[in-house]
Amino acid sequence: MALFELKDFSFKYPFGEDYALKRINLTIEKGEFITICGDSGSGKTTLMRQLKPVLAPHGEKEGELLYEERDINRLDLREQASKIGYVLQNPDNQIVTDKVWHELAFGLESLGYDAAEIRLKVGEMASFFGIQHWFHKKVIELSGGQKQLLNLASIMAMQPEVIILDEPTSQLDPVGAINFLDTIKKINRDLGITILIAEHRLEEILPMSDRVFVIDGGKLLIDATPTQAGRLLKEMNHPMFYAMPSSMQIVSHMVQDEYPLTIREGRQSIERYFKNKEIRVPRLEKSHKPASDKKAIEFKHVYFKYEKEGPDIISDLSFSVNEGEFYGLLGGNGTGKTTTLNLVGGMLKPHHGKINLAKKRIVTLPQNPQALFVKKTVLEDLRDIAKDKDAIDRVTKLTHMAYLLKAHPYDLSGGEQQRLALAKILLLEPQILLLDEPTKGMDAYFKRQLAQILRELTSKGVTILMVSHDIEFCAQYVDRCGMFFNGDLISEAPSNIFFSRNSFYTTSSNRMSRFVFENGVTIKDVITLWEKNKA
Amino acid sequence: MVDCFEKYHPVVNFVYFFAVIIFAMFFLHPVYMALSLSGACIYSIMLNGKKALKFNLVYMLPSMLVLACVNPLFNHEGMTILFYLKDGNPFTLESIIYGIVSATMIINVIIWFSCHNQIMSSDKIMYLFGKVIPASSLIFSMVLRFVPLYKARIKTISNAQKCIGNDVSQGNVLRRARNGLKILSIMVTWSLESSIETADSMKARGYGLKGRTAFSIYKMTLKDKVVIGLLAILIALVAMGACSGLIYVNYFPRIQFTPVTVWSSFVFISYFLLCYMPIFLNIYDEIMWRISGQNV
Repeated sequence: MALFELKDFSFKYPFGEDYALKRINLTIEKGEFITICGDSGSGKTTLMRQLKPVLAPHGEKEGELLYEERDINRLDLREQASKIGYVLQNPDNQIVTDKVWHELAFGLESLGYDAAEIRLKVGEMASFFGIQHWFHKKVIELSGGQKQLLNLASIMAMQPEVIILDEPTSQLDPVGAINFLDTIKKINRDLGITILIAEHRLEEILPMSDRVFVIDGGKLLIDATPTQAGRLLKEMNHPMFYAMPSSMQIVSHMVQDEYPLTIREGRQSIERYFKNKEIRVPRLEKSHKPASDKKAIEFKHVYFKYEKEGPDIISDLSFSVNEGEFYGLLGGNGTGKTTTLNLVGGMLKPHHGKINLAKKRIVTLPQNPQALFVKKTVLEDLRDIAKDKDAIDRVTKLTHMAYLLKAHPYDLSGGEQQRLALAKILLLEPQILLLDEPTKGMDAYFKRQLAQILRELTSKGVTILMVSHDIEFCAQYVDRCGMFFNGDLISEAPSNIFFSRNSFYTTSSNRMSRFVFENGVTIKDVITLWEKNKA
Repeated sequence: MVDCFEKYHPVVNFVYFFAVIIFAMFFLHPVYMALSLSGACIYSIMLNGKKALKFNLVYMLPSMLVLACVNPLFNHEGMTILFYLKDGNPFTLESIIYGIVSATMIINVIIWFSCHNQIMSSDKIMYLFGKVIPASSLIFSMVLRFVPLYKARIKTISNAQKCIGNDVSQGNVLRRARNGLKILSIMVTWSLESSIETADSMKARGYGLKGRTAFSIYKMTLKDKVVIGLLAILIALVAMGACSGLIYVNYFPRIQFTPVTVWSSFVFISYFLLCYMPIFLNIYDEIMWRISGQNV
């Protein structure tokens, strides 16, 4: 018996001109692990919300939507609440109560279980997730990744048949995200619970998936296994292909009919190909000439701590960023990256050492773009910063915001909000731009657009210092990278050299190809190297 | 040290503090006050260590002295006149003593409250409220969730605005006020927007279905029942003693105590046990632990 079945299902928003979902036919069997991909605005969320009627937006529906062969709207509320779990994007907004134990019990309280039953179910779930240590903690003490696990656990406590997850890791750091996805995998494998997940991190999620749905413009474009989906996307020459795992992009380009999903398979493919073959060009020659040798930011033996008695967060940090350079600070959580950014921004002061800043106008792009939105429309919001019409025109052109000027800032998608925040910041005409995790929650398309905007800025002499977890983004677009560890930079080099030197903390292309080529850091690098060594 | 009274059921904690604080407010008998105050001081030091000692000595003692001195300036009742003030009013021994007594009462209540705040966590208060009005415990829990969340959000916004030169700490008064309002407005919009997601998450987990229960992590154990029984007996004895006027002291115009009888010493012992109960429970716990031989 199929869990969900959609027959010619279409959906239109009340004032929408076009259908948001167009004649979708699909079935989801019990116990399947299904990944949904598609650009922002493709209809992923609209589709997933239809599968949980209490969350479904109002609008015109056509066709059939069945849950266990019954019309889904005939499902009673109690059954719907417990059988269909739904995890949303933002870990913070989903949490309702102040204590972990209360949050875990929330759903069961709604269903009207008595205390003894709740105690059993909650205890069971906490042990399964390994979160019994934080049982008595306050929610506010948890990290983002822990909060999202708590959201998942509190749904699991209701013993659902299926869990629908809408980009659950987009607000998490890489470690938290991978931990979360592993838990999802465990739930699917060990408990047989059906999973339907929309995700940007295809590299991690595709190897776990049974099937992939690709949604484009409200249509179900592809419904196939991950390997087949890769092949179909490539044959269609669809932009979604550039979101597929690096190993698939590289190997399928070079070898007929091979679509590896993991680094391991990619590495096997490349090593099989070059077995007994001589590598004539092991490395790419790249020039690393700095744009300018004038220093815009210079740290000299800087020390910083938050409390007098506390440990040094930054200790003996010395580094410099040149004018017009795009510099990326990488490293784990809590190593002092954001603190460094705040030191440059002047929000914090070092207790030892010196920070020289050659430029005066320094602005920071905050992690949450919402923190900047004041007005009802994008245009008014921009006018709030600068009245000059020419300046606004210039900035909206640069950030591709022109078509959105009349929209409400909160109606924009995540990537568009990020761009609006950037546009506002740019109206202040910064000479030094500080970015804190700008690519968080962005899909591949928006990342490319952001990179383009930043490139244009550096070419005009703006210096950019970015803190990021996004290795792939840094490898592709950043001039120079520094690795932060324990309050200090432990390694610093132009990004190509930086990543080819690392063996774990590096891009997937590099991890896949490092046993064959010396500096294949990006997908393009590896493909170029492979082509040079071909014949 | 780890307090064991805290681990008792919230009802036990609540009844205890309710009784002790009410008694502390109404008993102005010096001996009873000494009992209560010493119990409160010892227990607060057990709970908070040096910090409590410092608090009691640095803040409580001086304020007690001030209060004791102020009373005779305004209260001129009493028989034993020590001297006359400049305005011709008498300065009496009784009013000094009454000042000391009432000051001690206030200090006593404050120290008991400091112990109460340490023991009655938000979870416990919520649980007790939930027993009376079931919906309130969820609301209370949500308030405790959202206050720190919104505080953090205001900080984020203020920092972001500081980055673009629009914070409350920048510019002249008018500009600061405008920036403050702007931060508030951003805060409201952002929070309204995010509360939609919170509402979705509540709906998705069946909020609004009929027959919602309120779960709590507390279980009434045998130990709790014994202590509650004991508490009930002690409170009853003390209350009866108070009703029969044994604890009453007449301060004006002359200080008069009720004579000591067998029955009044009973009440006295009961009150002693009541005020020292958490201390005795802790000692009992310590002894049981020693006997079990775990700490070798």
